[in-house]
Amino acid sequence: MTDIVQPIAVAPTRKPPALWTSIRRNPTIFIGGLILAILTAMAIVAPLITGDPLRMTPAQRLRPPSEAWWFGTDQYGRDIYARTIYGARVSLTVGISVALVASVIGLAIGLICGYFRRVDAIVMRIMDGIMAIPSILLAIALITLTRPGLGIVLVAIVIPEVPRIVRLVRSVVLSIREQPYIESAIAGGTRGFKLLTKHILPNTMAPLIVQATYVCASAMLVEASLSFLGAGVPPEIPSWGNIISQGRSFFQIAPWSILLPGAFLTVTILAVNLLGDGLRDRLDPRLSRRM
Amino acid sequence: MNQHDPNAPSLEVTNLVKHFPILGGFLQRQVGAVRAVDGVSFSVRRGETLGVVGESGCGKSTVGKTVLKLLEPTSGEIRLGGIDVTKFSPGQMWDHRRRIQTVFQDPYSSMNPRLKAGAIVGEPLQNFGIASGSDLDDRVAQLFRRVGLRPENMKKFTHEFSGGQRQRLGIAKALSVNPDVIVADEPVSALDVSVQAQVLNLMIDLQEEYQLAYLFISHDLAVMRHISHRIAVMYLGRIVEITDKRTLFTRPMHPYTEALLSAAPIPDPKKKRERLIIQGDVPSPSKPPPGCHFHTRCPFAIGACKEIDPPLLEIAPGHHVACIRRPVGAAPEPLTRTN
Amino acid sequence: MSILQVKDLKTQFFTQDGIVRAVDGVSFNVDVGETLAVVGESGCGKSVTALSILRLIQKETGRIVDGSIKFNGRELTTLSEEEMRAIRGHEISMIFQEPMTSLNPVLTIGTQIAENVVRHKGVSWQKARDRACEMLELVRIADPIRRLDEYPHQMSGGMRQRVMIAIALSCDPKVLIADEPTTALDVTIQAQILDLMIELKEKIHAAIVMITHDLGVVAETAQRVVVMYAGRKVEEASVEDLFENPMHPYTRGLMKAIPRLDMDAEAADKRIRLQEIEGMVPALIDPIPGCAFAPRCPFATERCRTQLPPFVESTAGHIAACWEVERVRELAA
Repeated sequence: MTDIVQPIAVAPTRKPPALWTSIRRNPTIFIGGLILAILTAMAIVAPLITGDPLRMTPAQRLRPPSEAWWFGTDQYGRDIYARTIYGARVSLTVGISVALVASVIGLAIGLICGYFRRVDAIVMRIMDGIMAIPSILLAIALITLTRPGLGIVLVAIVIPEVPRIVRLVRSVVLSIREQPYIESAIAGGTRGFKLLTKHILPNTMAPLIVQATYVCASAMLVEASLSFLGAGVPPEIPSWGNIISQGRSFFQIAPWSILLPGAFLTVTILAVNLLGDGLRDRLDPRLSRRM
Repeated sequence: MNQHDPNAPSLEVTNLVKHFPILGGFLQRQVGAVRAVDGVSFSVRRGETLGVVGESGCGKSTVGKTVLKLLEPTSGEIRLGGIDVTKFSPGQMWDHRRRIQTVFQDPYSSMNPRLKAGAIVGEPLQNFGIASGSDLDDRVAQLFRRVGLRPENMKKFTHEFSGGQRQRLGIAKALSVNPDVIVADEPVSALDVSVQAQVLNLMIDLQEEYQLAYLFISHDLAVMRHISHRIAVMYLGRIVEITDKRTLFTRPMHPYTEALLSAAPIPDPKKKRERLIIQGDVPSPSKPPPGCHFHTRCPFAIGACKEIDPPLLEIAPGHHVACIRRPVGAAPEPLTRTN
Repeated sequence: MSILQVKDLKTQFFTQDGIVRAVDGVSFNVDVGETLAVVGESGCGKSVTALSILRLIQKETGRIVDGSIKFNGRELTTLSEEEMRAIRGHEISMIFQEPMTSLNPVLTIGTQIAENVVRHKGVSWQKARDRACEMLELVRIADPIRRLDEYPHQMSGGMRQRVMIAIALSCDPKVLIADEPTTALDVTIQAQILDLMIELKEKIHAAIVMITHDLGVVAETAQRVVVMYAGRKVEEASVEDLFENPMHPYTRGLMKAIPRLDMDAEAADKRIRLQEIEGMVPALIDPIPGCAFAPRCPFATERCRTQLPPFVESTAGHIAACWEVERVRELAA
């Protein structure tokens, strides 16, 4: 049987753009990413670039920023610069861990809810219930019931973040399910597990990644709030929240103890949000850079 | 005995019904039903194309999906090569999916945008364990060539292909497991005319080569005329007329068929004909009119039409019509208008 | 007497992958009261031409880079946005393909029609409502007074399209641009709307620019036709001439490729292969030196591929952009 149809050429694949063009097209991703990268690097090498955050030098209490003390000292004579950089460790750890753990749990639950209708109704009501509890109150309750520590803080922040991710993943799964290519795959013999992993899961990744960045920012803020209230990490571990909390009473005479860690917190959260926004715009097929 | 019967039609459907419940109220109880498919029967043999034509809301797409068991039938019978698959669970149905494949309308959303073209075409072969590894690649390359695409493009993503080429990919995928039946739901409607011709010709060639049975669903009568052997006209969930192509276009008996034929604009300015333009809109499938579903728009409706549900009767050999003004043995004369 | 004169229109879109020459030097005239069809497949530039006439191309994405559009002698390409707004919906109206997304879902249809009247004619709201009611009657919507207070989602697709037509005609436009007005509708509803438009043509004295890909719609409604391909005009003729003696190979190919309902019974019995046009529409990003159709044309020569073909006239008013018109005609005979 001879070939009846003339094989048709397909458009040639375009080469990926150069780095500079990528940066120019997605400035928010680049800026957000860069700031976070610098901060993470600083947090990791903290012992190499700062002094001891816990060492108290009462003779040097409440000194303003100077060459010896870049960010000044607090009421115990501790180096605020060192404390701020070490505080970055806490915030970044909390932010990234919560984002990762909540994403994994939320993804699993969301996939199941979106795909198996029977489970959906019950699980979503549970999620609604969890979302109704203010995260800070939940965290305080959990911490009061157990020992305070970084681990508990992580658990307390993860729990209220999970429902939001479940909702997102579930809605993406529900909309993908209706797509003709899913029906086409089923008609072609693709079954349950393979359908989920090969067809549905990859299409949830983009919105999930974007949401994960927002969860990260939110988690950092919650941790700072908890630490500010004294219900977060134990006071021996410097966290931006408790640095600010401890500087509260001395705000009028030593504003640097609040403003500088506060600025770091703000910039970090801003960077994460920029990254998230940039990724969202880049990954959203509808907002693609078209004509 | 639920066995494969080589003499049976490749696809046979009897009194197929598909209702979608309408839920309402706080407890989401069933308050009504959308009667998308309301008792449809037909059969398709090897090498034959049955065209199913109708406008939106007539249920033709739902018929397609139900026959594929992508939707569970509410009642009725579906037989593939003699085997009754109506009540098969998804697990039981899986074995039989090899026999019946599909080509969808929208070449843009009917393929996973994240998979490469070769992976999409080869997926059914993998699913049924027919081929793997380099053997799989060979078969996929062969399929590409058969539908007129260059095998080198296997590694490309689907968005790099044009609409017509994606449709060819869909056909290649459907063909991969050597099915008996292909359900094509508006396969050329989203394509430009010049590309439409290419894809239709390809489908005709493949049918002749592999003796495929096509269930060809479309709203476009002109396309039907080219590819079908027999045609079923649907309105609001029911078949109102079913016969061979020539009879349908030269001696249509059902008023709705006449209206459809009349409505399509002819690309020839000299042919100005007496057009039968029916008024009104298609009623909602959740509240179909009583009696004959078409009576509200039918220019030939009489009093009895809103009371009697017209059965699909064989008024001439191979020609079934559901209209009380066209009884068995009736002559194909024009009906008298009543409004 | 031309009410609309488009000359050498060039509209381009500036994308990250390059410049898309959506409309690449298109000229045509529309006479008072005539219906001109602009026909072509997707990507040929017919919709962009319509949007260009009304200056509806978004500034961020593209613009008219060259050419002139004269309406009633007035140059439209240089008018300010404010002056264009006075023309849109008033002297030149447009109806679109998707009535659901073109109508505001939160306003009643009476409000949407009346709004247009008030904006352009400056009459009182009550007068505008009366006019709205008149328009609904004109487009044959039953029970118009009740319908004035309905919302778009309460109406069917066909009715919404009638409402769009009512809005478009509410200020007595001189030109109505219809961009694929029936493509999204069912065939029986399409017949109703086309029938309505033909009837309205007698009543309203507006020129109509009918943009479509459907040659059947062209045959039913148009007096003259412009065929577009890859952003360029390839043929222009009266509707009778175009169907009887298509000159351009693309037009000929198109006519042979469409499945026909009106074949004679014997021919219909066999399943004839449709005449294909091989290949694909070219990407509008790469500049095309010669004839845009050359890669797919069975008559193409080296000259066709390198030099832009001039317009050649066969009978009065029938022109085609092709180097090989003679050979094409011989083959047809």
